[in-house]
Amino acid sequence: MSQNTYNNLIHFNMKNIKTMLLVLISFCISGIVSAQNTVRKGYEIGDVATDFKLKNVDGKMVSLSDFKKAKGFIVVFTCNSCPYAIKYQDRIIELDKRYKNLGYPVIAIQPNDPAAQPKDSFEMMQKRAEEKDFTFPYLIDEGQKIHPQYGATKTPHIFILKKENGKNIVKYIGAIDNNYENPNDVSEYYAQDALNSLLKDEDIKTSRTAAIGCTIKYKK
Amino acid sequence: MKNVFKILILLFSISIFGQENEISFLKYEDLEKKIENQEAKLTVVNFWSTTCAPCVKELPEFMEVNEKYKSNPDFKMLLVSLDRPKDIERVKKFIKEKNLTAEVVILDDIKRMNTWIPRFEENWSGEIPVTIFYQNHQKIVFHNGEMSLNQLEEHVTKYLQ
Repeated sequence: MSQNTYNNLIHFNMKNIKTMLLVLISFCISGIVSAQNTVRKGYEIGDVATDFKLKNVDGKMVSLSDFKKAKGFIVVFTCNSCPYAIKYQDRIIELDKRYKNLGYPVIAIQPNDPAAQPKDSFEMMQKRAEEKDFTFPYLIDEGQKIHPQYGATKTPHIFILKKENGKNIVKYIGAIDNNYENPNDVSEYYAQDALNSLLKDEDIKTSRTAAIGCTIKYKK
Repeated sequence: MKNVFKILILLFSISIFGQENEISFLKYEDLEKKIENQEAKLTVVNFWSTTCAPCVKELPEFMEVNEKYKSNPDFKMLLVSLDRPKDIERVKKFIKEKNLTAEVVILDDIKRMNTWIPRFEENWSGEIPVTIFYQNHQKIVFHNGEMSLNQLEEHVTKYLQ
């Protein structure tokens, strides 16, 4: 074998190795991407939920720690623009009216970036809160720092927290009930059942549920 | 005799009309069976709704890919609409306007979302759009969120091999 052919052979092998490496690397990357898309981020049941300081539609800042007497919270990630969220507006008001007096007020947080969805601007939030006569704070997740910590991925997405030893523990994650379309044809009241169990100090039967909603909007 | 003709004409027009506009309403189990019974090697299932802005945005690119591969018997694209059955006319209009060439079905199973969402993917909370790739009836990719034309094509070429 001449030196030249030998060099060519080495060169060829090097090329092959490079290609194989590239394929391997891209395979790994694509593996990571698929994994990222399937692994759930955010809180699990039993985790300590973070407090926050977010601007309410009345211009004042609101934190969970402001509610000294609350036993817990119904944190609802919702918005003006999503048809599923709009369908639940009245039911969220009902939840607040019923459970605020029992120690579990609703805290609504609008997670979308108004630059990506102008219907969810602070001014539009103020307008909606006034129109619907919201009985609860309607906060804007300015900078979109809070909802990823909770693991909210859509609107509406609810997190029920219970105060335990000064910490807010996540007790329920998911949907309000099992029929976004028709409140008169609901057969599973997930959020109410969870709250009633918490109030009776009983275990929550279904602590995690899924329902179709709108993805949270980010500016690209 | 006249009546027979009338009936024949009626049947004929229904069959033509039906072919163009037929959209099935499926319960979860029927959809699952439909996916399982695909003869194609690669089945791309996209969950969308006419009311979902990011879904509407990505569909033209899905159509670009569908146009490219639809004659390949190894490839199948299925668009699962989560619109309400009463919005069927809006869905039909949308299909026509956007020239959706892939098969569209409506998953008419609102009250059992908490059953079927986790059966498609355990970690799916229910946000859309979502695209699932099945290769030889095995789920190989669950993609949560919008997909770019490049991403979609990369997946299709990779899993069609």
